[in-house]
Amino acid sequence: MSEPVDVVLVDDHHMFRAGVKASLDARVRVVGEAATVDEAVQVVHDLAPPVVLLDVHLPGGDGGGGAEVVRRCVDVSGTRFLALSVSDAAEDVVAVIRVGARGYVTKAIDAKALSDAVLRVAGGDAVFSPRLAGFVLDAFGAAAGDVATGDDELDRLSAREREVMRLIARGYTYREVAGELFISVKTVETHVSAVLRKLQLSNRNELTRWAAARRLL
Amino acid sequence: MTTAPYGAPAQPGTPARARLPLRRPEHGRWFAGVATGLAAHLDLPVALVRLVLVALAPVAGVGIALYVFWWLAVPVGDPAAAAAAARPSALQRLARRQPLRADGRRVPWAELALGALLVLAAGVLVAMRLGASLDAAWALPVLVVLVGVALAWSQLDAVQRGRQDGRRISVLRLIGGGLLAAAGVLLVAGQAVGQGVEPALLVQSAVAALAVLLGVGLVMAPWWVRLARELGDERAARAREAERADIAAHLHDSVLQTLALIRARSDEPAEVARMARAQERELREWLYDDRHEPGTSLVAALRAVVAEVEDSRSGPEGDPVAVDVVVVGDRVPEPDTLALLQATREALVNAVVHGRPPVSLYLEVGPQAVEVFVRDRGGGFDLDDVGPDRFGVRESIMGRVRRRGGTARVTSSPERGTEVHLCMPVGGGGSGHAADEDEEREA
Repeated sequence: MSEPVDVVLVDDHHMFRAGVKASLDARVRVVGEAATVDEAVQVVHDLAPPVVLLDVHLPGGDGGGGAEVVRRCVDVSGTRFLALSVSDAAEDVVAVIRVGARGYVTKAIDAKALSDAVLRVAGGDAVFSPRLAGFVLDAFGAAAGDVATGDDELDRLSAREREVMRLIARGYTYREVAGELFISVKTVETHVSAVLRKLQLSNRNELTRWAAARRLL
Repeated sequence: MTTAPYGAPAQPGTPARARLPLRRPEHGRWFAGVATGLAAHLDLPVALVRLVLVALAPVAGVGIALYVFWWLAVPVGDPAAAAAAARPSALQRLARRQPLRADGRRVPWAELALGALLVLAAGVLVAMRLGASLDAAWALPVLVVLVGVALAWSQLDAVQRGRQDGRRISVLRLIGGGLLAAAGVLLVAGQAVGQGVEPALLVQSAVAALAVLLGVGLVMAPWWVRLARELGDERAARAREAERADIAAHLHDSVLQTLALIRARSDEPAEVARMARAQERELREWLYDDRHEPGTSLVAALRAVVAEVEDSRSGPEGDPVAVDVVVVGDRVPEPDTLALLQATREALVNAVVHGRPPVSLYLEVGPQAVEVFVRDRGGGFDLDDVGPDRFGVRESIMGRVRRRGGTARVTSSPERGTEVHLCMPVGGGGSGHAADEDEEREA
């Protein structure tokens, strides 16, 4: 058994932090906790953990929530962020992914899947929940068959990336996606990371418009 | 007259309360509600306030002037409600409260005033008949001015209350009142000068007055614009308040009741889990979804189907099963997609009842077709083993979709679970039937 992965847990609800701490298995060790934006920035700078489990909605700071924590911690090298939220709202997810989080999971995730996700992020890969994959397909207009032809296109998904996203949206794990498409798990991870990069770097107009159109109220 | 609810001073036992804002309440008022409002604001008995105002009336008309000033300056409203609204929203209780209303009989003061005026006029006429020399020449213009002013002011309350229906009438009243008052002032001026008004002089002075008014209006324009903007802001804030109240009412009606139910049935874990899931779903819908008009959204219809299945069906061991729903795109439902939804429901019921969680549902709305994937992690089954007499999968899922020109496919394996793939062409996609025939031959 290798060394457990150190994580910092950032959430403003004490009860939720306690619950997550109790449910994470032996492969993951919680080394720090924070409840506000400022506390989180402080703790991440002090400990520089490999993974930070970050709630999207946080009090304090300039009111930017989880996205602000990621932005203010860009100078900490080697730390990756995994967003964890109860919110279904598209703009919450996209905001935190766009500033550099390596994945997004909902709080309804079961304990083993959460530990898996932490390890995956620690290994440098992206973590997509089915819902996030659905957001991506929606945002990139992939349902309308709008796919990229070249590899360097940032504003559209390639046909393969679209296939991978659709399988993840259908509830397939990375291993199952790999089996379905006759590719290796590593290749699936590469595709997912590429999609994440596109989500972060794309200036696609639709992406902004799409997020704006889904604003509540 | 009924007792004014705001006039009563604070009871000795009650804790010291903050001063209520100055408003003219609509009930418990005698005339315009100034005295009642003042009494509530100052926490004094309303009778005392009225007495002071009446006592001040003969003193060079101070009482009347004050009354008219407050009538114009103080907005109509319930002081208690205004106090509640003025609290910072973070401190406000979210749930609606029943308003405390004392139903006071309204005394028809306007009618009484008109009657008194008529009686007075009759008295004056009788006095003149009897030979009393009254300078009636003054009376008529003054009366005209008063009627004009009364007419113009009478719509003030209506405008303040923001009534939409009476707006045009209000404007007409304002214009009419203004014209009457102007005519009255001219008549009074004519009386004062002596022998009427020369037409040329009248036109000249009217033009001069108009010029002055225009100049003043120009100077005041920025203030007026700002006032209008502030009014708009206030309206927007009120709309937000209404939305808030809506949500608060919802929280109260559904969340609190569910919590109470859960506490009452805490010894039935399956039931508690089901109720918690139903409540979570509903709350999410409120918090994160755009609320659609009924019949305009396929996604909303799908969510309703999922809710129904989650609420009414249990897994193999009698435990509630949550369905993981992911949707991409949306469209207006039509008969074909309705059939697709019914087939989806059957597939979901199968997955929940015979499969194993997690159950995933994926809906993708494309320009040519709507696709649905329903997946569970159960042991799977072989479609060929299902007898042709069994209606479940073959008829209610696959047949339903194929009859409408769609395709249906079931893949099942012991290690990967079962996945039902339904595809329904929409919006003039012509390839649906060909695909259907292929599928039929395959099956």
